[in-house]
Amino acid sequence: MAWELIYWLICFCVDLALFASSLYQYVMLTDLEADYLNPYELSNRINQLVVPEFIVHIVFCSFFLLAQRWFMFLITVPLTCYIAMLFVKQQHLIDVTEVFRVLNTEKKCRLVKLGFYFSLLAVIIIRIAISGILIPTAGSEELDIRASFLEF
Amino acid sequence: MGTENPGHPNFTTRPATAPFAAPPQNMMPFSSSGPMVGQEASGFRPPPHVTQQTPFSSSGPVVGAAASNFGPTPPVAPQTNVPFSSTGSAVGAQASHFRPTPPGRFHDPSVPPPPTSSVPPSVGPLSRFPTPQYLSAAQAPPTRGPPVGQMPYQPPPGQAPFQRPQQQIPSVPMGPPPQSFNSVPPSVNALQSPSDSSFPASLPNSQTSFPGFPRKQSSADSQAPPAQSPFLTHQGNYAAAPPAVSSPFAAHQGGYAPPPQGAAPLGMQSRDHMQHHGSGPPVGAVQALTDDFSSLSIGSVPGSIEPGLDPKALPRPLAGDVEPKALAQMYPMNCNPRFLRFTTGAIPSSQSLSSRWHLPLGAVVCPLAEPPDGEEVPIVNFGSAGIIRCRRCRTYVNPYVTFTDAGRKWLPGDYFAHLDATGRRIDLDQRPELTWGSVEFVAPTEYMVRPPMPPLYFFLIDVSLSAVRSGMIEVVAQTIRSCLDELPGFPRTQIGFATFDSTIHFYNLKSSLTQPQMMVVSDLDDVFVPLPDDLLVNLSESRSVVETFLDSLPSMFQDNVNVESAFGPALKASLMLMSNLGGKLLIFQNTLPSLGVGRLKLRGDDLRVYGSDKEHSLRLPEDPFYKQMAAEFTKFQIGVDVYAFSDKYTDIAALGTLAKYTGGQVYYYPNFLSTIHGDKLRHELARDLTRETAWEAVMRIRCGKGVRFTSYHGNFMLRSTDLLALPAVDCDKAFAMQLSLEETLLTIQTVYFQVALLYTASCGERRIRVHTAAVPVVTDLAEMYRQADTGAIVTLLSRLAIEKTLSHKLEDARNSLQLRIVKALKEFRNLYAVQHRLGGKMIYSESLKFLPLYGLALCKSAPLRGGYADMSLDERCAAGHTMMTLPVKKLLKLLYPSLIRLDEYLLNASSEADDVKIIENRLPLLAESLDFRGLYLFDDGFRHVLWFGRVLPPDIAKNLLGPDFAAELSKVTLCERDNQMSKKLMRILKKFRESDPSHYQLCYLVRQGEQPREGHLILANLVEEQMGGSNGYVDWIIQVHRQVQQNPTFIKQTRCLICRVVEHYLPGKKEEVIEHYFEFSHGSTPCCRVEDVEERVATMHRFLDDSVRHHRRTE
Repeated sequence: MAWELIYWLICFCVDLALFASSLYQYVMLTDLEADYLNPYELSNRINQLVVPEFIVHIVFCSFFLLAQRWFMFLITVPLTCYIAMLFVKQQHLIDVTEVFRVLNTEKKCRLVKLGFYFSLLAVIIIRIAISGILIPTAGSEELDIRASFLEF
Repeated sequence: MGTENPGHPNFTTRPATAPFAAPPQNMMPFSSSGPMVGQEASGFRPPPHVTQQTPFSSSGPVVGAAASNFGPTPPVAPQTNVPFSSTGSAVGAQASHFRPTPPGRFHDPSVPPPPTSSVPPSVGPLSRFPTPQYLSAAQAPPTRGPPVGQMPYQPPPGQAPFQRPQQQIPSVPMGPPPQSFNSVPPSVNALQSPSDSSFPASLPNSQTSFPGFPRKQSSADSQAPPAQSPFLTHQGNYAAAPPAVSSPFAAHQGGYAPPPQGAAPLGMQSRDHMQHHGSGPPVGAVQALTDDFSSLSIGSVPGSIEPGLDPKALPRPLAGDVEPKALAQMYPMNCNPRFLRFTTGAIPSSQSLSSRWHLPLGAVVCPLAEPPDGEEVPIVNFGSAGIIRCRRCRTYVNPYVTFTDAGRKWLPGDYFAHLDATGRRIDLDQRPELTWGSVEFVAPTEYMVRPPMPPLYFFLIDVSLSAVRSGMIEVVAQTIRSCLDELPGFPRTQIGFATFDSTIHFYNLKSSLTQPQMMVVSDLDDVFVPLPDDLLVNLSESRSVVETFLDSLPSMFQDNVNVESAFGPALKASLMLMSNLGGKLLIFQNTLPSLGVGRLKLRGDDLRVYGSDKEHSLRLPEDPFYKQMAAEFTKFQIGVDVYAFSDKYTDIAALGTLAKYTGGQVYYYPNFLSTIHGDKLRHELARDLTRETAWEAVMRIRCGKGVRFTSYHGNFMLRSTDLLALPAVDCDKAFAMQLSLEETLLTIQTVYFQVALLYTASCGERRIRVHTAAVPVVTDLAEMYRQADTGAIVTLLSRLAIEKTLSHKLEDARNSLQLRIVKALKEFRNLYAVQHRLGGKMIYSESLKFLPLYGLALCKSAPLRGGYADMSLDERCAAGHTMMTLPVKKLLKLLYPSLIRLDEYLLNASSEADDVKIIENRLPLLAESLDFRGLYLFDDGFRHVLWFGRVLPPDIAKNLLGPDFAAELSKVTLCERDNQMSKKLMRILKKFRESDPSHYQLCYLVRQGEQPREGHLILANLVEEQMGGSNGYVDWIIQVHRQVQQNPTFIKQTRCLICRVVEHYLPGKKEEVIEHYFEFSHGSTPCCRVEDVEERVATMHRFLDDSVRHHRRTE
């Protein structure tokens, strides 16, 4: 179904964004470690991203919930809980004064997120491929829709 | 060597030994070789024990030579002798030990191995002995099967003695049980029971120890002399051989085998053996000897303490801090230890070694420490050539630089100098950077990001009602005014003022004005600075306006009834004002911030939080505002000093954050009243304003390859992984850091450390202060312990513990501290294994003899002490912040204050020369040190307490206090009166204060029995006494010792058992305590039956401790 394809494409974009954000933060942290960046700039840049990233992730998660994709939902729920916990404890932002003490854990945390989003990405691409392949074999109605798309 | 003599007497009785009487002559050469380690040798002669030992003394030198590395060895030797006397068989084993030891000894590269030529002679005598002994053993005690069994392995007795080169052979037979080799303690056990009754029993033990053997060998330094290898091979050969019968012997030998590691362990082990052997009749004698020995050894090398021993015999740092000398002697060009101290003067060569050093591995740096008069850090100006640094590792030129290829590698051309005949540069005398460990370079413009800033002081003063009432404003204004002449950096110094209550007041101090103009900003949500400039003015230009302002400041607000405090907005405004230049911000704060951003709540009055997992949050700022502000301040090169005066809760935890991340300091004057605390504030503020300060500084410590600094502790902000940003730093600040090995194995011989502090001096010059030190790399744990520096270790431990209180419960922080000490002692004990059954001895390194006491003092120090009731939250936090910055000496004095008896001194007519003597005459911090007829001075570096005994002769009190000497002393102030005695007292107090100018020691008077002042001023600070829920010194030592002897998993449990009850002794938890108490006493011990529980709760922990001890004993 084309909707399915569109749905997965949106998921793909969102996941890609989250992946990019994690990657960016990770790179920032390694830069800090290598002294290419000072802690003020680092915390500024990362802290700007943290809340939007949280929101996007929660949207992402609820997206699966609303579409009743239970498997995907269950995969993303733990991270959502973790994020919520950080937020409630007010530990989600990077503390300029103590960056170096938490540097390694933060890096690890980002790396895990990276891996997580990456595997999601893989799943989503597979889904896209499947829904893409399924379209031609699906009923004629869908074909018509596609045809109308193509026509105009 | 010693073996000979003891053996000798034994042998005389036996015919077989008679031939061996000759050996003493051989010994002679040996003794001559001994002199290398002359001092130790002398130490060795504890001839007091036995007259027979005289030969022993001759043997001493040999052992001594080995001992040069291993301090603890001496004790060993005497004990080994003892066994000889008791059983012949033991002698043989020991002799074999001795032989290997000398080679094993010299792992340390720094100590040259003894001439190999000397070894053979020593071996010769030794080898002989073993053989004779075997003979004797086999012959004399028929009961002993094992010796007989061994006989086959032994070379013929007659030959062995005479074959010097073959010494190993005798040892070989002994060695057969290589299994026993490695782990001393197990072998000891084996010896104990089996030697007497069953041999088979010992067998398993020896086997268990077996695996350890290879490990030890591998850990042994590659440098170990070849002598070891034969030994090994022998063992390998014989390993299979030992039949069950011989097993006991094997065990013995195993114990001895460890020598490759060091002679000391041998000695210890041998001692164990001896006792085991002696288990028959000679036990008593042996025991006596060991006791003798321990009492002899106290204070010398490894100390030993019997539980319940005379508390007077415990080591106490009555001489204050002693800087380690060994490192300075080894590397005379190192910087002075006042600038840089290492926790141990020996870097471990491998990660596995450093993991066995359970104490922190690191350094304490005080980059600007005040040198004594006449000893300045030389200033070097390279001019246009620029500062000479290594291009690769960025270190600055220092005395340890080697010039290869005529220095063309990385030196500019004009730094070239010819070498004289001895290989020294001919210009060495003109170049302090090549001869001094500490130098200052004048930095060229590459080291500046902006022109050097002028010294800048900005004062932010609380003028709310309570500040006015306390008189703080007046004292502050007067002090600042009196210091105007001495502010560093004339004529560039800048100054500015702001005051706040519910609004913020700025002062226009423009030089053209005659009167300062006050501008009030009341918009707290959007703070702005009313004038772009003129709020911060050049002091020399606006001097008269500033003076007028300071004169009128107290009167300006004397009628102020405002009780609010807009502290947060005022901070923001100061930041805006100062952000162009940076400088120093001095905050005088009296009322809990109540308006605008950064408002603080009253915390800490909820008793339920204490003791819970959330307790630590009280010691952290609740509002991130303060951390953010601190970060901003550091960014703009502003250092913050916080002066807090409130009589109520002021949340020092939050305010202190400002100082913590800006390299500042917290001064806390609870219940400030200008009449009482005025002097203290005056002195400390004056010192803060006038001491030499380094502005806009950054500090970095570099070290050789393979080593890396991993964590930093103190007041600063990390700018990058290893760069400390210090907006303002001075001589009273020290920084601690921990290091770790990056590589599993260090191949270098020496690690060099270089501290570089880049700063702007008050005169406007940009400078780099460089301290360089070299530290040897060692492969031997014992050497690390020998070079340990208690002062630096305690400093690091205290900072770690205080940091731990910020994320854990106080109890956890204390436990982990204790655990660390226990682990370190345990490791040391393993190093010099000791008997278990007779193991009432506590073994510790000479260099760490004060560690347990300082550990105890740390647990009782203000930041870690007790629980809720023992210390107010603010005082705890303030003390924590202070201790995070203290240099080593000052911290040690705070932990173990000096207690001095004054009445005799005051009564005797004495000259000034006596003053020195009295200062040295410190007393242990025990309640029994306080004589009720005496007058005592208690000095912890932050305050003086004069303690008047109850029966102090009235004329002394009258002379010192004037007519109201009988009044309650809290209302009496000490001032100089017109009589000799009073003048003398004031003179000596002044002397004490001058010796430690960083804080003013306000003098408190207290009379014996005057509660609760006495308890809080003196009794709570007698760290060796038992108080609240904490241990006394003796109990503490026993407890630590017990834990050292337990296996590691058990430590926590016992601790909890005792602690659970003790720690629960909070005001609100009485019932719970009683419950626990019942539970405990019910199950285990008959010795503390409860008649009146209520009454006993107060002294419960004492009973518990007793009961635990009792329990153990009955077990």
